[in-house]
Amino acid sequence: MIIAERKPIDEILKFLNKHQKVLVLGCGGCVTVCLAGGETETGILHSQLTMARNKEGRPLDVIEKTVERQCDFEYLAGVRHLVKEVDAVLSLACGIGIQTCAEAFPEKLVWPGVNTKFLGVNLNVGEWAERCQACGHCVLDKTGGICPVARCSKSIFNGPCGGSQGGKCEVSPDTDCAWALIYDRLSRLGEVDSLREIMPVKDWSFSRDGGPRKLVREDLELESGQ
Amino acid sequence: MNHNYQPKIVVFTCENSGWLALKHASALGLLIPERVEFIKLPCSGKVDLLYLLKALEKVDGTLVIACQKENCKFLKGNLRAEQRVNRAGKLLKEIGLEEERVRIVYLAANMEHKFAETVQNFYDKIRELGPNRGKVMK
Repeated sequence: MIIAERKPIDEILKFLNKHQKVLVLGCGGCVTVCLAGGETETGILHSQLTMARNKEGRPLDVIEKTVERQCDFEYLAGVRHLVKEVDAVLSLACGIGIQTCAEAFPEKLVWPGVNTKFLGVNLNVGEWAERCQACGHCVLDKTGGICPVARCSKSIFNGPCGGSQGGKCEVSPDTDCAWALIYDRLSRLGEVDSLREIMPVKDWSFSRDGGPRKLVREDLELESGQ
Repeated sequence: MNHNYQPKIVVFTCENSGWLALKHASALGLLIPERVEFIKLPCSGKVDLLYLLKALEKVDGTLVIACQKENCKFLKGNLRAEQRVNRAGKLLKEIGLEEERVRIVYLAANMEHKFAETVQNFYDKIRELGPNRGKVMK
């Protein structure tokens, strides 16, 4: 899922400085699961904003609402009536949801309430780690299900590099060496010989090299969606 | 300090400790400040960050009374409550309010005297801090 973290309150207060009435819009998708922008976090931010502005003697009227997903225009259509009432929208969705929101409500300022961090996994309550870089051309079949693009600090193929020490990366002792993980896993599976095959240089044309990416599936497209 | 100022506080109590201590304190006629609202929870671990903040929008201070450490019926409820109280304090501090407005205290059901003393001390502390400047309903 997409992992995000709420922006510092000072930054958010600065965004909303000139407004008197705002909609704090949560998202029921990834940011709910990573506890950054779901219904609970929307309520917490509502409270913090209200108290902070009240303390300054400039009350802020806050409406809070959480939609199923902010990355779908259909769900945003359901809050259009609320958006009409406010000066601006503070979106607690990931960068995708925030942009969809801005596109859905072109007449309103839409402020970001979170920093979108990475595509990752929940390791423990309150602990997340990066697992995918959405590079567009998956090589997990060759690396025992461990991604060298996202999990090797240098994104190298045919590792490990000379900076791998005791299974850890030279960049940080807290970071596992992805290539040590790959080697250990393939060894356990009896597939370590597959690493003798040299992986060619990564083809980055599937990634960001060609500019913003788009996926079109004609079998699913409807006339109304165009 | 305004000597006429009477703060309002909310006390979240675990039904296995604080709530029973309140009943015993009342039965013994121990003095509890008037402007204190007690809320019974099935466990202090039920207290959510949102409960604490929503309460603080309306009152001057929030106290959580949990079971003694290592004596939670649900094992870690009191520790979870402690984490949430600490977090609430940090969120208050971030917006320039006093983090002392939210606090957690651990006691057992048979500690009614300590209960009354704790509530009174917290009430006095909040009185000393003055009105909660972030309060929405004055």
